[in-house]
Amino acid sequence: MGTTAAAGTEGRGEAVGEEDGAILQLLDSLDGYISLMGSLSSSLRQGWLELSSARHSMGNSRISSVLFDMKPHSSATTVDLTVSTASDADQATQPHFSLLKWGSRGDEKSPSVEVDGKTPSQASSSTIYPAVAADNQVRKKRSKALSMFGALVPPKLRVAQGSFETSLEAIIEIANTRSTILSALGRLQTVDLRS
Amino acid sequence: MANRVQIPTNNSALIAMIADEDTVTGFFAGVGNVDLRRNTNYLIVDSKTTVKAIEDAFKEFTTREDIAIVLISQYVANMIRFLVDSYNKAVPAILEIPSKDHPYDPAHDSVLSRVRYLFSSESVSSGRR
Repeated sequence: MGTTAAAGTEGRGEAVGEEDGAILQLLDSLDGYISLMGSLSSSLRQGWLELSSARHSMGNSRISSVLFDMKPHSSATTVDLTVSTASDADQATQPHFSLLKWGSRGDEKSPSVEVDGKTPSQASSSTIYPAVAADNQVRKKRSKALSMFGALVPPKLRVAQGSFETSLEAIIEIANTRSTILSALGRLQTVDLRS
Repeated sequence: MANRVQIPTNNSALIAMIADEDTVTGFFAGVGNVDLRRNTNYLIVDSKTTVKAIEDAFKEFTTREDIAIVLISQYVANMIRFLVDSYNKAVPAILEIPSKDHPYDPAHDSVLSRVRYLFSSESVSSGRR
């Protein structure tokens, strides 16, 4: 009888520890979520202001949603989705989002690109600048994305593009924080059911 | 966590938008997608957009396999609040964002509402113990 009571106390202790861990994770994630929403609001406000300035200089018809449906357009920036699964059946799968901006990850190593038309074997005397080449590619893709608004776009529009890119980064972080919140909520509900 | 396995889906998924014109315009150059059949990953909401159209767009974007995140202006989400709050899948993620004329209100956010509901039911059940 004493052994049964001790085992029951130990089980309740484990459940309390697990619940505390889930609550801490939830509260941390909530704090992060609200902060990120604040950052997103700030970058979006900046983007709207710059877009309005660009519209003022170019005219309403040049920056309008009517331009969007003209021809097929592929998304230059996409999301890579990874799903983590746990061996413990109680823990739900948690998706993880990462941004593929302009078709590449920010943390990928850029492949070495030949410069001046020389192959890598001939490049012993010339320097290879993979980061510069990658930057040039991104710059070209950025300009191409704005080409729907015309061949010449004002600097304000380019700046607005940068603000909305920053907003996209915040959005990805918010999506990941949301996953963490939902995962912690799921764990709490599981612990609650067990107890 | 040692027992978690990362499974890359090898899918580049899209970000869908249900928002006002300025927000969609701002994001379009980066994430806008129009395919050969003129199917889009966005819905521009203005004064003439009906609630049915918003509901249909929400249902379409949340069931498409090529969409990972759905951005919806919070004031638009309020028009279809029941639908947004009853959505409980992890993917696509539904994110309520502010709009130019309607700042973000944490009180209406569906994720935060779920947390509030859990803690209110927790406090009720702990009171009963």
